[in-house]
Amino acid sequence: MTLNRRSFIQKSAVASFAGALSLPGFAAEQTVKYGGSPWLGHYPAHLAMAEGYLKEVGINQDWQSFATSSARMSAFMSGGVDIGCAGIVSALALMSRGAKQFAIIAIPENFGRVEGLVARKGIETVADLKGKKIGVTFASSTHLLVLDVLEQAGIKPGEADVLNIPGPELHGAIKTGQIDAAAAWTPHFDNILREPGVKLLADDSQFSLYKSFKVTPGPDVLLVRREFAVKNGELVKRYLSAYFKASDLLREQPEKASQALLKFTGLTMKEQMSAVTGSDWYPQAQQKELLTGEFVQGLQKLAEMLVKHKQIDKAPVVKDWIDASFV
Amino acid sequence: MAATSAASVLIFIALWEAVCRAGLVDPIFLPPPSAALGKAAAMLGDGTFWPHILASARRVMIGFLAATAVAIPLGIFLGTSSFARAAFDPILSFLRPLPSMSWIPLSLLWFGITETQKYSIVFMGCFAPAMVYVIEATRNVDPLLVRAAQNLGASRWQVMQEVILPGSLSQILSGFKVILGLAWTCVIAAELVAAREGLGFLIMNGKEFFQTEVVVLGMVLISTTVLITDFFFRLIENWVLRWKQ
Repeated sequence: MTLNRRSFIQKSAVASFAGALSLPGFAAEQTVKYGGSPWLGHYPAHLAMAEGYLKEVGINQDWQSFATSSARMSAFMSGGVDIGCAGIVSALALMSRGAKQFAIIAIPENFGRVEGLVARKGIETVADLKGKKIGVTFASSTHLLVLDVLEQAGIKPGEADVLNIPGPELHGAIKTGQIDAAAAWTPHFDNILREPGVKLLADDSQFSLYKSFKVTPGPDVLLVRREFAVKNGELVKRYLSAYFKASDLLREQPEKASQALLKFTGLTMKEQMSAVTGSDWYPQAQQKELLTGEFVQGLQKLAEMLVKHKQIDKAPVVKDWIDASFV
Repeated sequence: MAATSAASVLIFIALWEAVCRAGLVDPIFLPPPSAALGKAAAMLGDGTFWPHILASARRVMIGFLAATAVAIPLGIFLGTSSFARAAFDPILSFLRPLPSMSWIPLSLLWFGITETQKYSIVFMGCFAPAMVYVIEATRNVDPLLVRAAQNLGASRWQVMQEVILPGSLSQILSGFKVILGLAWTCVIAAELVAAREGLGFLIMNGKEFFQTEVVVLGMVLISTTVLITDFFFRLIENWVLRWKQ
């Protein structure tokens, strides 16, 4: 084949353009649909976007908000979300139904210290909750914490009045004396703790699986839609590099990270700092160990515990949903 | 006709079952009717079936009856007095579009975590629409009949009792049938907070754990209960309006 000067220039231009597209530094921006909320599990994803870390790796994040983990999981099922963080209870509920549409690719943090069971004045221990009204959001991690600590204290199901109350309503309910105790997560947890005379009866460190596997009642997990991951493996890796850069910021410079989060969460600086410093932000280097070690065994035990408390019908094999290849 | 209706229902259920069994739909998205039926059987076995239905039915009936008991006299009063209507219409117009769910925070503060709080949500969801039906029904009574009664010397109370109430009752009852259906949508909101039983709770809890057969079962039970109450309502309507026949 002979090339004249014009066709040589044309072919060279096309080749240069194609080459430029394949280089990460010059690649056209790719979009990731992220399922989020103002909950702290989404801080790294938000910061990665707000601080420009995602832009640096050529990713545009399309932020989709969901009020609950279950709503976010439904979006994973329908293909409306590519990457997102969710409470493991919702993920386990879907896994127990055999849904294979998503995989766990990272563990963002441990928020065990900003979640717990708080009681009104006069109630000193969990055992004192027999016959008392406990407010908790059903199907949440706090629900499981309450069921577990009540069992540990020898209180049988039905011996305490466990009521389903949405997180934002818990503070008002305990303040007005409608319930004797409330199990909540931050910021409701901090708000309740500020009430005069209330006492913290248990946080996630009293959860039976935390003692043996360092697993809280409902740890957050970072998920990816499998179909998306298969087609965009390299993109997911790039996403995680930006994600964990933001995670490092939360761990190493909490004040700067908190400042950057204020508009997103609507919290005061004090509340924001408490949420950021009250959680342990896992670095990327620790992910392999978390996703292949005893933490996953803990998640398996958690699934079995959900079956015991009749929250799901059967326990899924959790490791089948773990994909450590991106970290 | 009844045979045709029954056949169409059976064909619909059979098609639904067949589509699910053929694997054309993921059971997480749409479970087969047999799965919902199996769940119902399991709940009958462990004794959790009837408490859910009875709890919701009780909340619906008490909230609905309380709303209609207040709406009928007040609605007739507003329907017959243009001054009262002018005074209260803006308030009614303000209350009418409020979804029952928006009453949850206030009802919790007013009544606490009690059954009254749940009745109040059904009440608030039904009250304003019921008032509108009563006012409209009252205003639709033929004014000639009212004037004739007045000319014949009937007192205000007699006009109300002998003309307006019988004249508007048919339309009021038709409206209340719609309100009764509305009350069942309110009970879902009522059971979102501090409930451990009820069809609304069953659906919402099933949703959280992706137990879609429980969600479908809850929906079917609500529809069935509405159909049954509708049947009884029609019997009452026929009895009350037997003079019309």
